[in-house]
Amino acid sequence: MFKHNALTSLFFAVAMSMHVAHAADAAAVAPAAPASTPATAVAIAPPAAPSTAASAPAAPLASLDTRIQDVKGDVIRLNRDLLVLEEELLFPANTQVALFVSMDVGKMFSLDSVQIKLDDKPVTNYLYTPAEVSALHRGGVQRVFVGNLKSGEHTIVAFFTGGGPHERDYKRGTTIKFDKGVEPKYIELQIKDSMAKLQPEFDVKVWQ
Amino acid sequence: MNARRITSSLLRHLAVAVACACALATFGTDAAPLAATLAAPPADAPPSPVKDPHYGDALFHFYQPHYFTALTTLMASQQLGRVAQHADEAEVLRGGLLLSYGMHVEAGQLFTQLIDKGAPPSVRDRAWYFLAKIRYQRGLPAEALAALARIEGSLPAELDDDRHLLHANLLMGGGDYAAAAAVLGTVAKKQPESRAWFMSDRKSRDANEAKAAAGQYARFNLGVALIKTGDLTGGTAMLDELGRAPAAFEEARSLRDRANVALGFAALQANKPEQARTYLERVRLNGAQSNKALLGFGWAAASMKNARLALVPWTELAGRDASDAAVLEARIALPYAYAELGAQAQSLAGYNGAIGDFERENAGLDESIQSIRSGKLMNALLARNPGEGAGEEMGWFWTLRALPEMPHAGHLAQVLAKNEFQEAFKNFRDLRFMTGNLQQWADNLGVFSDMLDARRKAYTERLPQVLARARETGMAAAGERSAAITKEVAEAEQAGDGVALADAKQRDLIERLNGLRAAQAQPTPDPEVAAMSERMRRVAGALTWQLAQEFPAKVWEAKKALGSIDTQLAQAKAHEAALAQAQVDEPARFERFAKRIAELKPRLQALMPRVTALSGEQQQAAQGIAVAELASQKNRLAVYTTQARFAVAQLVDRAVTAPAQTAPQAQAHAQAHAQAQTQAHAQAQTQAQEADRARKP
Repeated sequence: MFKHNALTSLFFAVAMSMHVAHAADAAAVAPAAPASTPATAVAIAPPAAPSTAASAPAAPLASLDTRIQDVKGDVIRLNRDLLVLEEELLFPANTQVALFVSMDVGKMFSLDSVQIKLDDKPVTNYLYTPAEVSALHRGGVQRVFVGNLKSGEHTIVAFFTGGGPHERDYKRGTTIKFDKGVEPKYIELQIKDSMAKLQPEFDVKVWQ
Repeated sequence: MNARRITSSLLRHLAVAVACACALATFGTDAAPLAATLAAPPADAPPSPVKDPHYGDALFHFYQPHYFTALTTLMASQQLGRVAQHADEAEVLRGGLLLSYGMHVEAGQLFTQLIDKGAPPSVRDRAWYFLAKIRYQRGLPAEALAALARIEGSLPAELDDDRHLLHANLLMGGGDYAAAAAVLGTVAKKQPESRAWFMSDRKSRDANEAKAAAGQYARFNLGVALIKTGDLTGGTAMLDELGRAPAAFEEARSLRDRANVALGFAALQANKPEQARTYLERVRLNGAQSNKALLGFGWAAASMKNARLALVPWTELAGRDASDAAVLEARIALPYAYAELGAQAQSLAGYNGAIGDFERENAGLDESIQSIRSGKLMNALLARNPGEGAGEEMGWFWTLRALPEMPHAGHLAQVLAKNEFQEAFKNFRDLRFMTGNLQQWADNLGVFSDMLDARRKAYTERLPQVLARARETGMAAAGERSAAITKEVAEAEQAGDGVALADAKQRDLIERLNGLRAAQAQPTPDPEVAAMSERMRRVAGALTWQLAQEFPAKVWEAKKALGSIDTQLAQAKAHEAALAQAQVDEPARFERFAKRIAELKPRLQALMPRVTALSGEQQQAAQGIAVAELASQKNRLAVYTTQARFAVAQLVDRAVTAPAQTAPQAQAHAQAHAQAQTQAHAQAQTQAQEADRARKP
């Protein structure tokens, strides 16, 4: 009798502990409950027949997961609209200029910071975190500055600092003159490796 | 020992073990992390060129990982039409990001649209793959299999492996283990080099480790699938190979331990305790599986009728943290072994000690449940587990890692390990993040409104000044003067004598000559006047020559100046027109912005209480999961306590029936026996009531 009890509880315990050990993986693929009625359906009742609506059984409330999905979607879309509003309000298309930084392979240069002057006025002095450098290496393009400029000719001077070949400190500058029209201007500062010269190159690409 | 019942229990255990093992196959098939890889190249792959800088900007946030920023900036860029060159990739990325927030419905619609609109094969295949994932997660295996069948072979190699794992999971879920084994066989045969995506879905994991881990998971799952199909030899060999394989990193070691534990308990089921001990002694003494292994190791010895041998692992296990079920089990298994060895006194002391431990543990669980219900758990978890990345945004890689600072926090380890709780907590955290996000936007929107008012005011104030300046410039008069000058130049050109274009000195000379000519015309007796006429003729001739010589150049210069005047006049007119247009456009523009702000404000205000309410609801749900888990721990404790009390009663019975017992001893034993039975009965009765109570939030 006792042995039976002990062993039963043993397997119970082992089963439980095994289950716990794997639960995170198991539940990750556990079939989710099918989506129930959307939340919006709950509030809708025919206005012409309030008594009928009142007497009818209430529509089942959508599952918590469904309602959370809905609200997340609404929040994300609201964020999108607010971002668009913010940009159009602060940086109208006809005066907007955006500066981007990208990195090609980047083996010849370990980026630490970038300083940018626009028409001799410092507009950004950016220090990079390892995560940001990694994001640039993987193909990300950083919008490092966005601002407004009048139509006409302007000059950008950018300085990149970091570690160059043979782990030596490296600082390079690049200059570009461009005409700003009535369209937004996107300028990309590119850091590339020159295998021929065995040193980094800094290039500028004007998108539009 | 009731062998039949034990076998039944073992079978039940094996079923759980195998089910858990099947679950392991899902290690690499979690859709959300995979979305990251689908949307982006692996870390060691060269980046593909970005054709729209704003798409690159979204990737920049995505890789950090700041997913919320990545998603919202990407969607903003899509709305502004700035990622046209990456339209399909952007949609795939967006779908993956939506999936990461558990938004299966919207992600599913997005991928379906991608397929319907006839995206390129590579995009279409990825979309089918995602749809299969979503359908699998939503419990639609047949539809998931159908989606997998639509993949035409344009998936990247590393994703193809994941497709096989998903396929195998679906087949195993449907009971087709033979087919699953066949599918997994193709993956298991591959060397892990082709599975770099495993690395990228675990941020902190080294790529090589991930590659190796992926292969081992596949082999583990294949072993389990083979056992399920009845191929015990093949399955055991596969698991045994894994159980003996060298493991260079923690995940591989953990998997090896799991394989050995599964093998050990399978051997126990097959009544092969010696073999079970061989498998179980491979398990590390301090790993996550060590408690289970020690417990099984002891029971293997007990099955070999060698209770003394069982004492070693159980003594070690009984001294460990009591939050693990195996440890609790060991605390009654140990006195059982003593009883088997005839050490009644030690056994009785062991059982009584275990009962005391269980009661303390039970009180601790009650405190933890109380603490959870008061909301301390969720807040403490949030404080101890900030999101990854500087922005502490919602993220795929985020998991609960640190226990909260609470009394009896050890109880919560098993709660936190439950995926159901993790998912609920992620939702709760997402909603809390969104609450902050919306509050920030509410502040910003107020600033936008103020900014717009300031611009309106500035415009209203400056406009009259600008208009006044424009009036002062006298555009009409300037135009008339320009026309008059144009006419003069035309007349001068027509005259062709250059007189009209003469400079000041030349005009002075002309006037003097004219004066002299007039004087000469008067009758005068002065002979000198007559003598001057010849000199005048020569001077006039020279002047005429000079004017004629300079005439073409002066005409050209005059026309050039006229052209410049016309250009400036045109510019001034354009400015004037622009000013007039701005008087119409700017107020309209201000109105449009004001309207947009007015539209966004109620949306924002409506969302804030919704998010707060859902956050509270989700908190209650997560707390309910945690309480239910702790309640099950309480139930387990109740079972153990009941068994310990019965064991105490049995020991007392033996002592009572002993021949040398005196009357007072017998009476005391009888009382103890009765008390133990009463307590055990009461415990059993309350067990069901507590379970019901605990499930209520």
